[in-house]
Amino acid sequence: MSHRFKAWPSWAAMFVVAVALLAIGSTRDSGPLNPGDRIDAISRRVACPVCDGESVFESRNPASEAIRAEIRASVYDGVATDDEILSAIANSYGGKVLLVPSSSGFDALIWALPAAGLMIGLVGLWFAFKRWRAEAAALGVPTEGDYDLVEQAREQHRGTSDD
Amino acid sequence: MSAALGNAGLLIALVAASVGALATSVAIIGENRRALRQAPIYAAIIVAGSVLAVVAMQWALFSRDYSIDFVQRVGSSTTPALYNVAAMWSALEGSILLWVIVLALFTGGVALRFARRRDDELVAWALVVMYVVMTFFALVSFGPASPFAPGATVPVGFDGPGPNPLLQNHILVLFHPPLLYLGYIGFTVPFAFAIAALITGRVGEGWLLETRRWALLSWGLLTIGILLGGWWSYEVLGWSGVWAWDPVENASLLPWLTGTAYIHSVLVQQRRGMLRVWNLSLLVATFALTILGTFLTRSGVINSVHAFAAGEIDGYLLGFFGVVVVVSLGLIGWRGDALRAPGRIDSPVSREGAFLANNVVFALFAFIVLLGTVFPLLVEVFQDRQTVVGAPYFDRLSMPIGLILLFLMAVAPVLPWRTSSAGTLRDRLFWPAWCGVASLAVAVMVGADGLAPLLAFFLGGFAGGAAGRQLVLATRRQGLRGLVGRANGGMLVHIGVILIAVALAASNSYTHSATLTIGRGETVEWSGHSFEFVGVSTEVTARADVVMADVLLDDTKVYAPAVTTYLQQGMTVPTPSVRTGWTSDVYLTIDGNDPPATDADEVVLRVFVKPMVLWLWIGGAVMAIGTVLSALPSRRSRRPTDPTSALITSGQHV
Repeated sequence: MSHRFKAWPSWAAMFVVAVALLAIGSTRDSGPLNPGDRIDAISRRVACPVCDGESVFESRNPASEAIRAEIRASVYDGVATDDEILSAIANSYGGKVLLVPSSSGFDALIWALPAAGLMIGLVGLWFAFKRWRAEAAALGVPTEGDYDLVEQAREQHRGTSDD
Repeated sequence: MSAALGNAGLLIALVAASVGALATSVAIIGENRRALRQAPIYAAIIVAGSVLAVVAMQWALFSRDYSIDFVQRVGSSTTPALYNVAAMWSALEGSILLWVIVLALFTGGVALRFARRRDDELVAWALVVMYVVMTFFALVSFGPASPFAPGATVPVGFDGPGPNPLLQNHILVLFHPPLLYLGYIGFTVPFAFAIAALITGRVGEGWLLETRRWALLSWGLLTIGILLGGWWSYEVLGWSGVWAWDPVENASLLPWLTGTAYIHSVLVQQRRGMLRVWNLSLLVATFALTILGTFLTRSGVINSVHAFAAGEIDGYLLGFFGVVVVVSLGLIGWRGDALRAPGRIDSPVSREGAFLANNVVFALFAFIVLLGTVFPLLVEVFQDRQTVVGAPYFDRLSMPIGLILLFLMAVAPVLPWRTSSAGTLRDRLFWPAWCGVASLAVAVMVGADGLAPLLAFFLGGFAGGAAGRQLVLATRRQGLRGLVGRANGGMLVHIGVILIAVALAASNSYTHSATLTIGRGETVEWSGHSFEFVGVSTEVTARADVVMADVLLDDTKVYAPAVTTYLQQGMTVPTPSVRTGWTSDVYLTIDGNDPPATDADEVVLRVFVKPMVLWLWIGGAVMAIGTVLSALPSRRSRRPTDPTSALITSGQHV
C-alpha cells in the first residue's frame, strides 16, 4: 500500500470517523435501566453484612436477601435515587456495608495513594529519560568512523535478524 | 499406616531439603566439586518423599482413614472418586501438601534440566535456594500444618462430611487449584536463579536466558489457573460473574501482575542489558507476593486483625515473607554496582520505552490491588473500625488501567527498538487503527453505548490489528513457523488478552437481569427470550438431594437450574444452568434458600443475559496456545551481540 494512502489526511479522516462513532455511541439515549438492572447495580455496591468479602449481589445469605429486598422495594417505589437508597442502607447497617470507600478522612488514602503512585511513576520516567538524554548528549555525535565500525559488525551478523 | 507413611515422606523431604541446602552451600564455598555433583541427589530424595506423602494422603482419603484429623474433616464415603482426589486441597493442611509436591517436582525438574552443569556455581546456588524454600514448606507441612495429625477417636460407623460442597460441585475443582499452584510455585525457579546470580555476581543476562521458559511456563499456568477459577465461579456460584475482587482472587492476581511486567521487561534486559535491578525486583516481588497472598488468605487477617493469633502457620508465612524480602533486597543492594545498567533508553517512543510504560502501569495496577486488599486491615489497625473494599472500587480504578494497557498493546508491537519516527508509526499503525475504527463501528451498529466500553472496543480492535499485522508479516515470511517464537507467540497471547478484555467490557457493561415468576406451563417473554416452566424434577443420592426447575428456553431446549442439598453438611448450593452462545449466554438460577417443591405451581427464576462470555474462555485458550508457541524456539535465533536495530542518526528521535 502506498505511503500516500497512509498519509496524514487519511489519519485525519479516520480520527473524525472514530470521534463521530464515539460521540454517537456514548451520547445516545438507551433508555432508563430496567428495575432488575438497577437493583443489581445498587446491590453490587453493598457488602453482605455477615459474610466475608461478598457483595449483596453475589451473596445468597438471608441477611443479603433482606437487604436486596429493601433495595427492590425502594427501586419499585420509584422515589429515591441510587445514592439515597445507599445512604438509607448505610444508616441502617452502618457505613461498613458500603463497598466503595468514602473520599474523605482516612479512607481518602485509598484514592490518593494510587494517584500518588501514578505521579511517582510518571515523574520517575521523566527523570530517567532526562538523565538518559543528558548521557546521550554527553557522548557527542557519532563520527563516520563509528558508523563504519557498526556497519562492519552488522555485516558480520547479516543473515540473522531480530524476532 | 497412612499417617506413618505420610509423616515419613514429609520427614524425608524435610531432611533431604535442609541437608541438601547445607551440604551444597558448604560444597560451593569449599569448592568441593565432588560434593557439588551430589547436589541433585537431594532433589530426587525430596521428590520421592513428597510423592510418598501425597500417595499416603490420597490413600487415606480413599480408604477413609478416620484416624487422621484431616480425613475426619474432609473425607466422606459418599464423595465421588474424582472429588476425593480434590479433597486433598480443600483445606489448609492439604493445600500446603499440594504446595510441597509441586515445589518438589519443580526442584526435581531443575536438577534434571541442569544435570550436566552440576558443578556450575550458578546452578548449585539456585538449587540451594530451592532447597531452602522446600525446607520451609516441608517444615510447615510436617509441623504446624500437618495433614497427618491424629484425629480424635470416632465412633464405629463414623463418616466424615466430605469437602466443602462448593468444592465437589464442578469438575474444574480438579484443575483450577493445581494449575494455580503450578503457576505460583513455578516462579520459585527464576527467583532461585536470580538469587543465585546475585550471590555469584553473575548478574549479566545468562540467568535470564536459563530461566526464560520456566518463567513463561509459570506465567502461563498461573494465567490458566486464574481463568479456570473465573470459569468455576461462573458455573458454580450462581451470581453470574467471573471475578469478584475478593482477597483470595486478588492474592492470585498480584503475582500475575508483577509476573506479567517481568516477562515484558526482561526482554529489555536481554536486548539492551538494562533494567537489571528492576527485573530482579519484579521477580522478588512476584515470589514474595505468592507468600504474602498465601498469608493474607490463609490467616483470616484481612477480615480481622485479631486473627493474627488464630492460625498456626501465620507466623511462619509472615516470617518467611520477611526473610525473602530482606535477603533479596540485601543482595540487590550488595551487588548494586554490578547491576548498574551499561546502556540507556534512547527514546520513549521505542519498543523498550513501551515496555517501560507497560511496567509502570502493571506496577501501579499491582499496587492498587494490594492497597485495596489490605486497606481494611490498615483501617482497623489505625482507626479501630471495620470497613470493606469491594468490586466497585477495583472496577473503577482498573478500567482506565485496562484501557491504557490496550493502547500499549496496540502501539508497542509496531515500535522498533531504540527509536522510531513519526512516519514509521503512521505507516505501521494505519491498518491496526482502522481495525479499531471498524470494531467501534460494529459495536455502535449493534447498539453498544457508554464511553468506557466503546473505548475498550476501539482499543481492542486497534491492539488486535497490531498483533494481527505482526502475525501476517511473520507468516508471510516463514509460513506457519512464523507463529512460533517469543515475539509472534506473544502476539497470539495479546490476541487472547484482547478477546478477554473485550468480553469483560461487554459482559460487565451490558448484562441484563430479571427475576421472573412463572406459573407451571406458562411462558414468559423477557429480553428477547421465552421461558416456559415445565416442572420440577428431583434426584436423590446418598450424597445429596437435587431439586431442578425445568425451564424450556426459547422453545428449543430444557435447562435445569438446581439446588443441591448436601446431606452430610446440611448445606444447600444453588447451581446455575447456562445456555452458552457465540454472542450471549442465558444464565438461569433459582433461589437456594427457597427451592421449589415438586408440585410447585410456579417458580421464581433469576435470569441473566450476558453478552460475549464465551469469548472469555476462547481468549484464555488462545493465551494458552500463544504461551506454548512463544516458549518454542523460533527459526531465526539471534545472538546477544547482534545489533538490535538500525543506527540512530541525529534528529531521528521522536
